[in-house]
Amino acid sequence: MLAKLALNSLIDRKGSVMLSLMAMTVSVFVLLGVEHIRHQTKENFSSSVSGVDLIVGARTGSLNLLLYSVFRIGNPTNNIRWDTYKDISNSEKVKWAIPISLGDSHKGYRVLGTTKSYFQHFSYGKKNPLAFSDGQEFDQVFDVVLGSEVAKKLGYTLGDRVALAHGIAKTSFSVHDDRPFTVVGILKATGTPVDQTLHVSLQGIEAIHIDWQHGVKVSKGKLTQSDLEQAELQPKSITAFMLGLNSKIATFQVQRTINKYTPEPVVAILPGVALSELWGMISILENTLLLVSALIFIAACLGVSAMLLASMRERRREIQLLRIIGAPPYILFLLIQLEALLITLLSFFLGAGLLAGSLAVLRDYLVSNYGLHIEINLLSDNSLYLVAALLAASTIVATIPSFSGYRKARTISY
Amino acid sequence: MAIKLADIRFHYSDRPEHTVLNIPSWSLSSGDQVLVHGPSGGGKSTLLGLLSGLLTPNDGSLTVLGQSLNSLNDRQRDQFRAAHIGYVFQQFNLMPYLNAIDNVLLATRFSVRKNTNTIKEEIKTLFQGLNIPENEWNRPIRHLSIGQQQRIAIARALINKPQILIADEPTSSLDQSNRDAFMQLLMPMVTKNQMTLLFVSHDQSLSNYFTNIQSLNDFNHIQGQE
Ligand SMILES: Nc1ncnc2c1ncn2[C@@H]1O[C@H](COP(=O)(O)OP(=O)(O)O)[C@@H](O)[C@H]1O
Ligand SMILES: [Mg+2]
Repeated sequence: MLAKLALNSLIDRKGSVMLSLMAMTVSVFVLLGVEHIRHQTKENFSSSVSGVDLIVGARTGSLNLLLYSVFRIGNPTNNIRWDTYKDISNSEKVKWAIPISLGDSHKGYRVLGTTKSYFQHFSYGKKNPLAFSDGQEFDQVFDVVLGSEVAKKLGYTLGDRVALAHGIAKTSFSVHDDRPFTVVGILKATGTPVDQTLHVSLQGIEAIHIDWQHGVKVSKGKLTQSDLEQAELQPKSITAFMLGLNSKIATFQVQRTINKYTPEPVVAILPGVALSELWGMISILENTLLLVSALIFIAACLGVSAMLLASMRERRREIQLLRIIGAPPYILFLLIQLEALLITLLSFFLGAGLLAGSLAVLRDYLVSNYGLHIEINLLSDNSLYLVAALLAASTIVATIPSFSGYRKARTISY
Repeated sequence: MAIKLADIRFHYSDRPEHTVLNIPSWSLSSGDQVLVHGPSGGGKSTLLGLLSGLLTPNDGSLTVLGQSLNSLNDRQRDQFRAAHIGYVFQQFNLMPYLNAIDNVLLATRFSVRKNTNTIKEEIKTLFQGLNIPENEWNRPIRHLSIGQQQRIAIARALINKPQILIADEPTSSLDQSNRDAFMQLLMPMVTKNQMTLLFVSHDQSLSNYFTNIQSLNDFNHIQGQE
């Protein structure tokens, strides 16, 4: 009955109630959004690479190396020589090595040159290996294996021909269209940057650059198959490489050895350490955002309370009537709290719905522009705590008008 | 004895110098139907507030249905009011955004009886007895005429079967025909249920519905005040 009273009373005052409800909804939207994206990016980041013990690249900051080798963000400052790769990966402590070569793109998606060991050893999430939804690994020079997102977004299937571009701009002027690649495999979705990557062999990368010097096309005519066969497709340099070691205990020792490698300045990083460093930087920003959105929520709660408090004046008669029929003063306290609770709950559902809707719309944009995979499902372990926290906050703030209602009920005379 | 006052003094706490009520002795027998008239601002509503236990006297003893209100705490007075006293005012007897049935149902929530099904039946019987058309039972109160609202107010005041019915100028906002209709519905209900009726008004024209007519100034001894 009290709930019915609260609900009908709110509907009766829909003008002012609607405004506070909207403010609450927006604040819930912001708060839930920040919290959800925070949660998701953390999962995204930490699941993007696993099982790799060391990443080695030209000497640069460890974050920079992590960003371009794992997240395909930014550009390597320098390449490392093929000899260096051979030398280090042949060490007896190294179990496997994945060379990677970046720098080309296809319709905004990065092209990664690598070897077959990528498909055998690279893993993500909780040590999940890469799996094919269609086809298999590349075998020929002009074979390409697509990440799931690339295949889906560009509508490629096995056997399709793909022209790769030199450079990484979305609309690259220098399209290597004279030697199209054939799609031989499509990977299953991983929720990591792998999904936005086209994988070719290192020889494939060399092949598209044969008659390119310093980024400029030198020969006009079409290269024949014999030209290619004559060409030495052995790469002279790569961007970076990932290492799996025989013994994890040796990781730091191997890292130290690599960092002291003399023929060329290289650096080895532990992906876990670099990831948490990255996460540490991002979380400062995210905590700030969370704090701001929490403050917005409190402000909206205060708005609701102000609305309820202002309504107390016009509800003198209502209170009087309740008292006459025997309602004790605390009923008024409960009634106002209930109204605040209803507004909070309603705005929670509205805000969550709005967020889910926006995510559904923005999902593709976030994936293709920022490589962010955001789940639309808002339910996580945290969301229950969040609802509890929201209700608690609104209840505490609503104590002010509720207590005013209680006082009015006590002192009202007839 | 339904109501018994002795040496009652009352002033509102924000105006201690202004004594509103000073009643050495006054009582009503069970089953009495009394019209108390007096000018506006004379303290009629204040007296009703004391009798219903919403206000407490500064001095004196107050006994209703054999129960000394002085000895009850706030919560007990609320319960006593819910159980034994029906109340009708001049206006705003009902929650404007609830329908008729819910308004009457609301009034049962704070008394001891809680069986909703039998209560709903009782409400329907009451409504039929008060000639409230069935199509108005489920409409929000604010869409009903004032005359109709006052009938529902009677139902609301009677639903808990109070022994005492208190009416604070319930006809003042009604026109002549509605006023007569209201009185002709109310008085038989009171008689039938053998309730004690305390009806206050500044309107003398209601006198022909009552045999026991008193003036507040006859038993409220206030001198030298504005
Ligand atoms: N809540 C209140 N606080 C202070 N004074 C009041 C209050 N209610 C009524 N009064 C004063 O008490 C006196 C009696 O008022 P009231 O009982 O309403 O008279 P009536 O019902 O006969 O018109 C008036 O002088 C009025 O101003
Ligand atoms: Mg009055």
